[in-house]
Parts: sequence; C-alpha cells; structure tokens
Amino acid sequence: MSAAEAKPTPRRDWAVIVQKIGTPFASVVLAILIGSLIMWVSGYNPVKAFAALFQGSFGTPKAFGNTLLRSTPLILAGLGLAYGFRANLFNIGAEGQLFMGGLAAAWLGLVLVGQPWYVNLPVLLLAAMLAGAAWAFIPAILKARIGAHEVITTMMFTYIARYIVSWLVVGPLKDPGQIPQTRLLPAESQLPRIQGLFSDATLQAFPFLNLGRAHVGILVAIFFAVVVWLVLKYTTLGYENRAVGYNPFAAQTAGISVQWTTVKALCISGALAGLAGGVEVMGVHHRLFDQFSSGFGFTGIAVALLAKNHPIAVIPAALLFGAMSAGGGTMQLEADVPQKIILIVQALVIFFVAAEGIVTYFVKQRQKEATSNDAI
Amino acid sequence: MPLLELREITKLFPGVLANDHVSMRLERGEIVALLGENGAGKSTLMNVVYGLLTADSGEIRVDDKPVKIKSPRQAIDLGIGMVHQHFMLIEPLTVTENIVLGREPGRYGVIDFAMARQRVREISERYSLIVDPDAKIIDLSVGMQQRVEILKALYQGARVLILDEPTAVLTPQEVTELFRVVRTLVDEGLSAVFITHKLEEVVAIADRILVMRDGAVVGETTPEATDEIGLARMMVGRDVVLRVEKGTSTRGATVLEVDDLHVADDRALEAVKGISFTVSGGEILAIAGVDGNGQRELVESIVGLRRPSSGVIALKGKDITHANARASIEAGVSHIPEDRHRRGLVLEFNLAENIILGDHRTPPAAKNGIMHPKAIIELARKRIADYDIRTPSERVTAENLSGGNQQKVVVAREIGRDPELLVAAQPTRGLDVGAIEFVHTQIIRERDAGKAVLLVSLELEEVLSLADRILVIYEGRIVKEFADADADAETLGYYMTGGGGSKFADDPAGKSAEKPLTGGQA
Amino acid sequence: MMLSNIITPDLFASALRMATPLALAAIGGTICERSGVVNIALEGIMLCGAFAGVAVTLAFGNPWLGILAAILAGVVIAAIHAFTSINLRSDQVVSGTAINILALGVTGFLMEIMYGHPGTTEAVVTIRPIFRFASESGNTTLGTIWHWINTVFLSHTPIVYAAVIIAVVAQWAMYHTRWGLHLRALGEHPRAVDTVGVSVLRGRWVAVLISGALAGLAGANLTLEQVGSFTENMTNGRGFIALAANIFGRWTPVGSYGASLLFGFADALQIKLQIFRGEINIPPQFFLMLPYVLTVVVLAGVVGRSVGPAAVGKPYEKK
Repeated sequence: MSAAEAKPTPRRDWAVIVQKIGTPFASVVLAILIGSLIMWVSGYNPVKAFAALFQGSFGTPKAFGNTLLRSTPLILAGLGLAYGFRANLFNIGAEGQLFMGGLAAAWLGLVLVGQPWYVNLPVLLLAAMLAGAAWAFIPAILKARIGAHEVITTMMFTYIARYIVSWLVVGPLKDPGQIPQTRLLPAESQLPRIQGLFSDATLQAFPFLNLGRAHVGILVAIFFAVVVWLVLKYTTLGYENRAVGYNPFAAQTAGISVQWTTVKALCISGALAGLAGGVEVMGVHHRLFDQFSSGFGFTGIAVALLAKNHPIAVIPAALLFGAMSAGGGTMQLEADVPQKIILIVQALVIFFVAAEGIVTYFVKQRQKEATSNDAI
Repeated sequence: MPLLELREITKLFPGVLANDHVSMRLERGEIVALLGENGAGKSTLMNVVYGLLTADSGEIRVDDKPVKIKSPRQAIDLGIGMVHQHFMLIEPLTVTENIVLGREPGRYGVIDFAMARQRVREISERYSLIVDPDAKIIDLSVGMQQRVEILKALYQGARVLILDEPTAVLTPQEVTELFRVVRTLVDEGLSAVFITHKLEEVVAIADRILVMRDGAVVGETTPEATDEIGLARMMVGRDVVLRVEKGTSTRGATVLEVDDLHVADDRALEAVKGISFTVSGGEILAIAGVDGNGQRELVESIVGLRRPSSGVIALKGKDITHANARASIEAGVSHIPEDRHRRGLVLEFNLAENIILGDHRTPPAAKNGIMHPKAIIELARKRIADYDIRTPSERVTAENLSGGNQQKVVVAREIGRDPELLVAAQPTRGLDVGAIEFVHTQIIRERDAGKAVLLVSLELEEVLSLADRILVIYEGRIVKEFADADADAETLGYYMTGGGGSKFADDPAGKSAEKPLTGGQA
Repeated sequence: MMLSNIITPDLFASALRMATPLALAAIGGTICERSGVVNIALEGIMLCGAFAGVAVTLAFGNPWLGILAAILAGVVIAAIHAFTSINLRSDQVVSGTAINILALGVTGFLMEIMYGHPGTTEAVVTIRPIFRFASESGNTTLGTIWHWINTVFLSHTPIVYAAVIIAVVAQWAMYHTRWGLHLRALGEHPRAVDTVGVSVLRGRWVAVLISGALAGLAGANLTLEQVGSFTENMTNGRGFIALAANIFGRWTPVGSYGASLLFGFADALQIKLQIFRGEINIPPQFFLMLPYVLTVVVLAGVVGRSVGPAAVGKPYEKK
C-alpha cells in the first residue's frame, strides 16, 4: 500500500450510519429468518410464534414493562462486556460477577434495616458494583501478571459464584421457610416500580405508564450507558482502554501500563455486571435465590456484540433480547414453541455479527487480495 | 530458450497498478537482479511467479511452454523456489522438519526421519551449505536460517531461485558468503532472480539488471554498462543525493549518560553486556551494528520499555534507569520505534488520536483525566501542516495512510513534543526515497536545534550520512568508536561483525573503546 | 473419617472415569489449537454429543449407535466452528461462544419437542465395563494387589480405554506423521505451510473436525457410560476445564491426558469426601467448587511458563 494515497475521509453522514447499523440489523433479520425456518421444520407456525412473541413483549404497556424489566440487567451486563471488549478482554464470566453483585445487594439490604431509601439504594448499588469488581479482580490480576486467559478463569469463577450463592441461600442466609431463598428485602432497599411513582389519576390519564413490574433500574441502566459512553470518548481512562485493546505494544510504548489498564478494564466490566445483579435483586425479586438470573451475563455477550461494543447501541440491543425473553413465555403459551428457540436465535445473531455478514465476506475477499502490498 | 519468461504481466490493486505490463526472461545459469525502490512492484511480480498472487493479465512461460501458476505448489512443481524476505521457517521445529515440510519422505503418512535427515545432509554437502539438520530454527543465526531457506528450495527441486531482499538482515560477511553460495548454485546450472534495492549488491552479483519503478520496467542493463549513480537515477527517476546535506553543529552539554548498562532479552539471556556512552546536545550519535546484537534491548531500556539488570541511565543528570515508559516520556525522551505498526501507531486510531499518543494525559490533550477534543484536533491540524502529512483530514485512521505518511505521524508526534533526547530506531525502514529524505532532514534539524539524538540503524548508508559520532555494537558490547570523518563502510562492517573482537577482549585499549566517551565531547 | 476409607481403589477408578471426558475434549482442544484455531466451543460440542448419544440410544436401543451419533454430532457442530473461524475468519472465541449458546438452545429445544419436557431424559441402556473379573480379595497380599489392579484398571467402560489409546496414538502421530508435522507447523506459521504448497484451510478444517469428534465422544462417555441420561447443561464447564488441561499439558495429547487425570482425581475426591460430609460438616457446595478452584490454581501456577502455538487464534488470510 505504500504507494497508495490515503482514502477519503469517512464523513459522518447518513450513509455511514446506515452502513454501521447495517450488519447488526441484517444479522438480526437473518437470525430470525433461520429461527423461523427451524420452527417451521419442527412443525410450528413461525408467524404465529413471532406474533405471540411480539404481543408478549410490546403488545400492552404491561408487556412492554416486562421487556424493560428483562432489558435492564441486559443493558448493564452488555455494557460490562462491551467495556471489556474495548480493551480486547472477553469477560465471558459476567454471570459470576452478576451473581456476586446480587449477593452483595441482598446481604447488605437485609443488614441495613431502618435506613431511609436514599441511603440504602445508592449504598446497595455501590456494593453490588464493588462485589462484581472484586469477583473480576483475581482473573484480572492473573491475566495481567501471567497472561492466564480470562475466558477460562472468569468462567471458573462463575461456577464458584453459583455454588457460593447456592450454599448461602440454603444455609446462612436462608429464609426460615421451606424454599431455599433469602428473606424479602425491606421496602427501603427495593427499587420502586415505575408505575408506583405516579398517582392513580395520572396512570388512568396516561395508560401507557402502566408498566407493570418495570422498575426504575432501567433508568440506572440508561444512566450508566451514557456514563460508559462518555468515559470511552472523553476521558484518558477510556482512551487508554481503547489503545490497549487495539494495540497493546503501541500503548505500552506511549507509557500506558497495559497490565494496570487490563486490571481496570476487567474490574469495571465486573462492576457493571455486578450492578446488573444488584438491580435484578433490588428491582425484581427483592430477594436472593439460586436461579435469580436467567443467564443475563451470557446474553450480555450477545448484546455487546450486536451493539458492536458501542455503549449507546447497547440499549436497543438489550431491548431486542429483553423483548425475546419477555415474549418467550407468551410464545410458548400461545404457539407452543419451546422458549429455547430464543437461545438459538441469540447464537445465530452472534454468528452473523461476528462473521460481518457473508456478503461483506465476499466483498472483503476481493479487497484483501488487493491490499497485500509489495513488501510481503 | 529461456528457462523462465514473463510476458506483459499486469497486476492491479485498488488504486495501485503494482505491475504494468512487465516482461522479463531468465536464462539457464543466469542471475538477474530486479532493482527498485520499496513499492516499485518487484515483490508483487515475484509473488505472481511463485503463485502467491494471480496476475490480472499476462503470461508466464517455463521452458518455453505457457503455464498457469495458481499456488506455490504448482510453482514448486515447475522448479521455482523462493526465499522470502521474512523467512518462512517454523521456529520450534528442526532444520530437517522445515526443509522436508510438504514433501516428507516416508510411506503411509509416516515420516521416515532417518531418510529425511540423510537427504538434507546430501544436499547440504553437495552445495556446501553446511547446517546441523537437528538444530531448531530458533537457535540458529539469521544467516543460518537463510541457508535453511535456500536448502528448502533446493530440496524441493528448484531450478529457479527467487531471492527477495536476501541481504536485508545479513552482516556484510554473510552477504559475501551468500553471494558465493548463489554463484556456486548458478555454476551448478540453476538460475536466480535477486530482488533488492541496494545498488552495490546489484553491481556485485548480477549478470543482468532490470530496473523497476512504479510497477513498470524502466530499464535493462548490465553491471559493466553502468555504475551506481546511473542505476540510482534510473531507479528513482531523478538525480539522487546519496548523502544528506549536513552542516556542522555546536555540541552542547551532556544530555544522555549511559554507564555500564546490562540488559537481558526476552529469553533472559544477557543482550547488553556493559555498555557506556554519552550523547550531548547538538549531536547525533549513531549505534551501528548487525540486527540482533543488543540494539533493541539497549533502546528499550533507555526509553523505559525494559528494565536493565544493572547500570545507570541518566538524562541531564537525572537518574532514569528504572523509569517506565511514561516517566521516560515525561523526563523528555522521545522515541521513534523501529516498527511503526507494532509500536509507533495504533492503526485503528485516527490521526488525531495517534498524534497525542503518549501526550494524552497532559495539556493540551487532557487535564485531570478529561480529554479536550477541540484542542486535540487543533494540535493534529498543526502537526499535519508542520510536517507535511498528506491526508484529507485528521479523522482518517492511521491504517489508511501510506507508509511514508504513517512515519511522518510518528516523527511529528515525537519531535513535536520537543524532547531533550530523541531516540530513533531504524527510522527509515521500508520508506521510499522521498520519505527517507524527510526523516533525515527532521533528525538533522533536531540536532541543529541543540537536541541530543541517538540513532540506531542497520543501514550503513544512513549511519554514515547522519552521524556525528558512531559506536559499533557487537554482541552486546561497544567494540569501536568513530568520529564521523574516520569511518567508511568497510571498516564499519569489519567491526560490526566482530572483527577485532579478540583484540578488544584483552587489550586495555579495547577497554578504552568501551568507555571512551568523556573525551568525545571536546 | 479414616484415610483408608478415602484412599480406596475405587477412588482411583473413579478418577480415571472422571478424567475421561475431560481428556478427550482436552486432546481435541490440543489438536485444534495446534492447528491455530482456538476451540472455546468444546463445552457446547460435548453437550451436543451427550444429547445425540442419548437420543439415538433411546430411539434404537443400541448405545453403540449412540456413540456413533455423538461423534457425528460433534463433527457437525465443529464444522460450524470451522466454517466461521477458518472461512469467514470470525473471532474464534466469539464463534465458540456462539456455539456454546447454540448447543444449550438446540439440545433444550430438541428435548422439549422430542420428549415434551425440559430437564432430564429417561434413562438409557448404558454401556457396560469390558472386563468383569471377580475381585474377591481375601486377605492375602496378592489378593489385595489383584483387587487394586482389577478395580483401578480393569473395571472400565470402552471409552475410558479408548481415551488412553487416543492420547498415545495422537501423541505418536503428532511427532511421527506428515499430518502431525503439518499440524505443528500450521499453528506456528501458517504462511510458511502455505508457501510449501500445503493447504492451510484443509489442515485446519481437519483439526477442528477431529476436535469435534473427540468432544462428541466425550459427551457420549458422560451420558452413555457414566450418567445414563441427558440433563440440560450437564457438561457444567467441563469444556473449559478441558481447555485448562490442554494448557497445563503444554499442548500435547499425553500431557492433556495427564492434566485431565489431575482434574479427574479432584472430582473423584470431592465426590468421595461428600460421603463423609456429615462427619466433617462442610457444605457440599464447597466440594462441588473444588474442580473449578483447582483449575484456576493450576492456570495461575503454569500459564506463565506454558506457551501456546504462536499463531493460535489468528485467522489466516491467503494473499
């Protein structure tokens, strides 16, 4: 390429935005099409299924509330994954940090009784973040110091976290009842429901505010999406994170500590995942039990990849998967399709996003052949 | 009847006509040199011949029969072998395993290693290219590795040997040895294509010379019919100043002081074995040497990328021996790394982001951890203008710039920082003549501004034209110091390859050559 | 709790059994990574193999057909990984993750449409141990020795022995055959392999498919020889532990087997210790954690000194 002149400036016009959104959008469409094909082959009616899924996720304010409910931890976990990916770290074990975040929030919520909500809520959320960060810390240190692959270590820590939670909810933190779960959090440690913020009169006047179980955690999630975006774009922390992710050698040469940046990135990623767990406990279940997360940490991977690791794009990506999860029940109920199809669609989305689309592949194939330079 | 003939080969990359109707022929027992600058299309042409690239149009003929070469396998089957610039050797494997790879003796898929070793030994004896068949590649010197590459081509039955920039990594002595080997092979009936951009080599080895420029053959000649000046003119398309204009400068106070420095390499072997020197303001000190004699470790320890095991590095009297890269930058050390893609740039970052790399924590780029996009863009535009970086805007990603412009970004950043000391490691590697001139001018300007410059280069040409003083490094030690006027390429080459090494080992005068530098400031 | 109650022949026999699925997957991982392709998908492939084995055995009543189906399923799933990471040059870790999620989805989905419920399938006919020697020990020294030998080494099902044979054969093949030489070269410097006219694409495809077959076989061992039924997500991180075993075994088949033995022993030990948990009063979760903790400890201990193939994880582009 040495003889080639610089390519023209990529201008931020609509064409560029369409191009950027194009691959993820096409990936989703393709995944849904193949998902439909699988349903059809298995003897189900995909139209009916997706209609039910849509009805169950966007059909009524309450259904939409459910979508928001499911999207909340997905946004936060997705942000965590995205922040890690930006440093070229794959925090596949976000689920474990999410568990520890949930544990911290539940435990502290049961201990801190009698405090006003404006003390409890921030303290609990912060505790969830710290717990998530702490759970990512050992894998982070192992990665930074000796290069132990974070995919294996964070995954192992996920299993360990699950067993810890499963022990606590049958043991020390068990509600004195039959069911293995903790006691209910006091009201001042619960994230309020959105519809609970409005008077009955307001709710009657604006029926779309009847969002059912959706809670203010969604606002926390959106707030953090903006924060992560600002951090990546306008702070040295974010700049160093991206530099290390793209080229650790150049970053090191520029005086950036690759090890320290790695530790920070994985811990911040863990903090966001931990927050997802805390929000889920405080906003949805109001207590801790074995199965409080339906794999939000893993779905967060798909969310981040679909959003191409852009913090703001994480929101719609999480909404998509949140909607599938919210509507999955209705789909199973009305079209009889097993909810597991959603996992399949999710996997397909990841394949397509990661493969940059078959079309781009063939285009690139020709370009790549062209860009090999004289010096090779 | 030519052994190999190319007719009107054309290869188009997007935006670049890499080969424009190139024709050449190679007779039996002949050495043809392909001479041209980086990017002239030499390697593209040979990659087409070797089946790594496919031509858009044109014809290849072997033994006067047209052939289609779509893969290296076909090229090998036609008797074409290639020694690549970056060796195609697998480091953890043995010499034998590398040589027989793809054509292993044995049956039912089981390799007969005894037979393989035997064949390797036969070939290496026949052409007197002696290697240890059981040595691992990683333990061999670069020259030895190249020998393995040649043996590999011979084992595969090559009649045509393509050598792509084979001398780039060799010592002058190894170059002489290579020329002898190539001569022997040609005497045995092989033919060779010798790709290079070094004029003196062409004159020394070739039977016939093809000069390429901008993808086309611009001339054909023989060593007898021309000289280096004429070849240079043909290669570049204008008269070339083979040396940069450089005035005298006034030497200032000592800036960098290195005392009895010991540094280990990645394998924990001592690579720098007690080096001492100083660099003063207004002076370019060049470290000349063959690649792999401790230069990398020396540079990395000075710029804070590698911790010395003992010794002292001081900048303007301040101890920076254990400074990390960040502290080193803040102390006033700038660094043009030897590999701009690996260490100099974040290719995915845009030009503005690359311009502040290393200065991204401090004003104007940032304050208290918050970045100032406006100030960054302003700075980037200023650098683009000051250093003549050819780009449509500061938002172009670095990977979309040409090699020369990428290096200008690095130079702009490192010199624009206004450092006390500039460490330039192979600052012109892989650049074309125009960009080389630019970089050299900037380095001299830096010296004239009273700054200290430490230049590490493998190119004798570059060392001789830039340096005010030259230290020769060999096996981790400084074996000789030259003031500019006393040096010439032959003497430098002699010391670079350990000539006089034994003399220095026990001679007290040799010791003084390692620590001669207090007097050098006069 | 007596030490002699814990250190019994069946502890070691159990260790060998527990090591088998890990070892098969780890050897698969070794072969795959030696070719330059990271295989995070071992977990999902194993799960698919486990399911296919049970489904086919339930349908035809023949567990041998089940093993065949498990291997086939492994190869098919691995083919997806091969296509995305070799041909499409996707990020290999991401592709592997997608396969792990896909495996969860596909096995769960098929379970519900085939058997009408999630969770666990019916029990299947399991494969019996090959040898069934009497082991009346008596009290003689010879009797005790025989009892140990018989229990530890001669009490196993076919895949347990197959794993040992596969480890040895793969090790030999890696260092003595053309395939092995090409494999070792591929993961280090694919372009060098390409320039001597050996296809990088084909070499990597074969390696990924072999790893799929081995991981599928590992799944069959889990369901058809050990558990006797399929449960959703029953692999429980074994694929990831196998990757750690591969690293600990320094990317060699025999090393992978040895490292798997260590993890298998930890697993056998925690199961054994659970029997005595009444006496020592430690919650069972802490025993269940043991293999995962051990994996982290082992990685922390060896990774710095164990270096993988130079080109692993990097997609190869022909020029």
